Amino acid sequence: MFERRLYYHIDWGLLAAVLALCGLGVVMIYSTTSDPTRGVSRMYITQLYAIAIGLGAMVFTLTLDYRTFTDKSHLIYVGLCAALLYVLFFGMVQMGARRWIPLRVFNLQPSEFAKLGVALVLAKFFGENRGAPMWTDLAIGGVLTLVPLALIAKEPDLGTAVTLIPVFLAIAYLAGMRMRILGVLALCFVLAAPIAWKFALKDYQKSRISTFIDPSQDAKGAGYQQIQARITVGSGGLKGKGFKQGTQGQLRFLPVAHNDFIFSVLAEEQGFAGVLVALGLYLFVILRALEAARLAKDRLGSYLVLGVLASFTFQVVYNITMSAGLAPVKGLTLPLMSYGGSSMIATLAGFGLVLNVRMRRFTN
Amino acid sequence: MAVQIEDRRRVTVRLTILQYIITIIFSILAVSFWVLQVVQNAKFEEMAENNHQRTLALRAPRGIVFDRDGKILVENRHSYSISIDRERTKDMNRTIRLLAGVLGIDEAGVRTIVDRHRREPTYRPITIVQDATLAQVAAVTARRLDFELPGVVVEQVPTRRYPETMGAHLFGYVGEVNDAQVAVDSSLKSGDIVGQSGIEKVYNAMLMGEDGARRVVVNSVGREIRTLEEDPPTEGKRLQLTIDYDVQKAIEDGFDAAEFNGAAVVLDPIDGGVLGFTSRPSFDPNAFASGIDRGTWNALTTDEDRPLNNRAIQGRYSPGSTFKMAVGLAGLEEGIITPDFHVHCAGHANFYGRDFKCWKKEGHGSLDLRHAIEQSCDVYFYTVANMVGVDKINKWATALGLGVKSGIDLPNEAVGLVPSTEWKQRVRHEKWYAGETISVGIGQGAVAVTPVSMAVYMATIANGGTRITPHMLKAVDEGNGWKPVPPPESQGKIDITPEKLQAIRDGLWMVVNAGGTGGRARILGHDVAGKTGTAQVISNAGRAASKSDKDLRDNGWFVFFAPRDKPEIAGVVFLEHGIHGPNAASVAHHILATFFAKKDGLPFPPPPKHDDLRLDYKDPYARKAAPVAAGTH
Repeated sequence: MFERRLYYHIDWGLLAAVLALCGLGVVMIYSTTSDPTRGVSRMYITQLYAIAIGLGAMVFTLTLDYRTFTDKSHLIYVGLCAALLYVLFFGMVQMGARRWIPLRVFNLQPSEFAKLGVALVLAKFFGENRGAPMWTDLAIGGVLTLVPLALIAKEPDLGTAVTLIPVFLAIAYLAGMRMRILGVLALCFVLAAPIAWKFALKDYQKSRISTFIDPSQDAKGAGYQQIQARITVGSGGLKGKGFKQGTQGQLRFLPVAHNDFIFSVLAEEQGFAGVLVALGLYLFVILRALEAARLAKDRLGSYLVLGVLASFTFQVVYNITMSAGLAPVKGLTLPLMSYGGSSMIATLAGFGLVLNVRMRRFTN
Repeated sequence: MAVQIEDRRRVTVRLTILQYIITIIFSILAVSFWVLQVVQNAKFEEMAENNHQRTLALRAPRGIVFDRDGKILVENRHSYSISIDRERTKDMNRTIRLLAGVLGIDEAGVRTIVDRHRREPTYRPITIVQDATLAQVAAVTARRLDFELPGVVVEQVPTRRYPETMGAHLFGYVGEVNDAQVAVDSSLKSGDIVGQSGIEKVYNAMLMGEDGARRVVVNSVGREIRTLEEDPPTEGKRLQLTIDYDVQKAIEDGFDAAEFNGAAVVLDPIDGGVLGFTSRPSFDPNAFASGIDRGTWNALTTDEDRPLNNRAIQGRYSPGSTFKMAVGLAGLEEGIITPDFHVHCAGHANFYGRDFKCWKKEGHGSLDLRHAIEQSCDVYFYTVANMVGVDKINKWATALGLGVKSGIDLPNEAVGLVPSTEWKQRVRHEKWYAGETISVGIGQGAVAVTPVSMAVYMATIANGGTRITPHMLKAVDEGNGWKPVPPPESQGKIDITPEKLQAIRDGLWMVVNAGGTGGRARILGHDVAGKTGTAQVISNAGRAASKSDKDLRDNGWFVFFAPRDKPEIAGVVFLEHGIHGPNAASVAHHILATFFAKKDGLPFPPPPKHDDLRLDYKDPYARKAAPVAAGTH
C-alpha cells in the first residue's frame, strides 16, 4: 500500500505551507481569545487537537491510493447524505441552526465533509467519461451536487451549502464543459437571483446583502460587522498593532473574531505585512495544488484535486474579502486558520487527497 | 488514445487559465488590503480609536462652606446617578421600558426626561435618576448591563448636602443649569449643576470647581477595560462666611418656638458681616441638590405662604413704630427739635382737621424725645413729622438705610419705599398732602421696608452713621489657605452730631431696660437697645370690613443693637402677623442671649420652648369670631 518511495514524492512544500497557515491560525486564535477579563480560554488548545486529528485524517487519505476512495465514492456519498439527513432531524442546535452531531469530545459537522464526498463522487463520475461531458452528464453531476447542498441549506447553513457549487463547476470545467454552457449557467444565475431574493432568501440574509451595499444604513445592526471589519483591517496599518494589541478584536468590537473574522484580526495585529505573508501562503498552497492537478496520472486525479481545491479556494477568497468588509457577511470560515474542528479535519483530509494524487503520479 | 491526449491538453490549458485567474484574484486582494491598510490607514485608525476610547466627565465637588468659626455649613456627599448613554443604546424604547421596570419608576416619566434632552449631543448621557437609592443602584448593576441594559451608566457624583436645614434662603440651592444661564455664561454647559439662589448662586463661580475627565478604553459593550489618562476634577473653592453657626441656630430655634412666619437678619454693626439670617417659612435645600421632583416643586411654588420667597430681602412691610427713630433723627439733625423738645400727648391729636390717635388712649402726658421713644408715643412723632415734613424724613430715613437696597450679597433684593413729594408726583402724579406726613411719622402710610434694610438702619444708628453693606463672605480658600475677603465698602457715612444720636440710643435703651415695650429683650449687663413695632397690615376700618379669610393680624417687629455704647450686634426680628412687637422681642432675646453667652464664654441658653416666649396673642382689633384672630396654636 504505502510504498517507501512514495514518501519521497510527498509535496513537502505544500505540506509546510498548509501547516504554516494552521500555525498562524492557532496564534491568532490565541491572541483573540485570551481576553484577560474572561479568563484564559482553551480554544487554541482545542484547535491544536483538531490539527492533530486532521493530520491523522491526512495520513489516512494519503496512505490509501486515491482510487480506493473514488471507487468507494458512491458509498461515501450515500453515507454522507445519510449523516446530513440525520443531522437535519437529530442534530444539535446551536445559534439557530441544526448543524452538528454531538460526539463525546467534540461536535461533528458533517457538512464540512460533504465537500470531500461531493469532490470524490464527481471526480469519479466525470473521470469515467471520456471527452467533453454531455448535457445529461452535467445534469446528473448537478443532481449529485444538489442533494447534499439542499440538505445543508436546510439546516440552515447556506454558506457551507454554496461551497459545493464551485466543486461541481470546477470539475465540470476541467472535464471539458463547454464555455457556452458555463455562460448559460451564469445567465441562469443572474436571472434566478431576483427570484431567489424574493422567495428563497431569509430576511436576515437579505439584510446582510442590502447592508453590504450600504453598510451605514444599519450601522448598529447588520451593517455593524461589516463596518467593524473594515475598521479592524484598515486600522492595522503597514506593520499592525502587534500581537494581542489589536483593539478591535481584543475589545470585541469585531464579532466571532476567532472564527469568521480571524483574518481581520491578523490584518489588525500583524498589519499589511502579515496579510501579505498569509495571502502568499494561501496562493502558494492553491498554485501548488493546481500543479498537483496538472501532474496527476489520470483525469480522475486531476478532477479530485480540483474538486477539493475548488471549495477551499472559494472559501479562502470569500472569507478574506469579507474579513476586509468588502463582501456581505456570511458564516463562512477561513479554511486552515479559523477556529473549528470539523472544518480543520476535513480540510487537512482534503489536502491528504491532494498530496495523494501528486505522490502517486508515477504509480500504476 | 487521441481523446486521452486531447483530454490531457485540455486539462493543462484549463488549469493554466485557473492559475492565472487565481493569481489575479489574489493580486486584487493584496491591492485591496494595501488600499485599506496603508492608503486609508489614518481614517480607520481614528475610527478604531473612537470605537474604544471614551471620555468620561468627572464631576467636581462644589466648594465647602464654613461659618466664621470654621464649622461646616454646606458640604458634599456622594450620590449615585443613573443615566442612559445614547451612543451605546441600540433600542431606546426597550432600554426605557426595561430601566423604568428595574428602577420601579414611571415609564412615561423616563420618556419625558429623554425627550427633554433629545437635542443635546448624543455623547452626553441623559441622567434619568439623580441620587438613586441603593436599592435602585443594586437593581441596575445586578442586571448584566452588557446585554440587558446596554448604555445604562451608574455614576458616583458629588451632591450638595446641607447638614441642618437652617438658613435655606441664605445658602440657597443648586440645580441643573437652564438654557438661559448657558446662553449668558459661556463657561457653563448643559448638565452642569449651578447655584440657583442664595450664596450658591452669588458665589457660584467660586464654588463650582472644574470638572475633570478620564479617558478610558472600553470594549464593544462599553465596559471599561483600563484608564488611559485622568485629569482629576478641581474642587470648588472653600468659602468662609461671616455667619455664626450659633447665632444662626438661635434664630432658627427662636422662630421654631415662636411658630410665626417672618424673617430675621442679625449682623455685625461695625463691618456689616451677617451673623445670622432667616426667612420663614423655609424649605429643605437638600430636596434640590439631587434634582427636585415635580411634586415637591409644585408644593413649594403653590404654597400660599410662599416658602421660596426670601422675606428678609424681598418682603416689604410697614415698619410701624420702628420708623420713629428716623423721624426723630430728622427732626434733630434738621435743627427743628432738640432732645428736650416736649410734646403733650392727650391720647390723640388733631392735624389738618383730622383726629389721629395715640396707641395709648389715655395719653402719655408731656414727654421728651427719649421718653417718646421709650413709650413709643404716637402723638409725639405725629407732631415731629408734621414739623419736619416728608422730604426731610425721606432724606434721613434714606441716609439710615431705609427705602434703598442694602447691597447684601444675595440675589433679587427688593427695595423698600420711604415716600417723598417727588415720589408721589413721579409715581402717582399727585401732590403730596401735608396730612399724609402724619401717618409716615409712625411708619405707616406708604412706608415700606425690607427686614434687611431694618438691620442696616439699626447698625447705622448703632455705629454712629456708617451705612454698612451687609455681606456674608469672610474668606476664600483657593487651595493655599484662607485669604480674608475685605468687607465691601459702606454705602455712605452721614454726619450725625453724636449728642443727638445719643438721645435716640438712650431712648432705645430705655425701651428695653426701662419702662418700654421691649423689656423682653433685656439682657443684664449688655445694654440692649431696641424698638418694637406693631404694624398694621390693613387699616382698622378695612380689617373690620374684610370678609376674607386672609390673616390680617398686625405684623410684629423688633429692631435692636447691643451693647448701646459699644455695639457688637445689630439686627431685626420680624414676625409676620405676629400681632405685637414685643412678641418679636421675645425671639430676639434668645438670639441676643446666645450671642452674649458665646462672647462671655458662658453656656448657651437652651432652645426656647413655645411657652417660654410668653407670646401675647391678644388681638385688640380682632373681629369677633374671626377665625384668624382666634390665635390658634
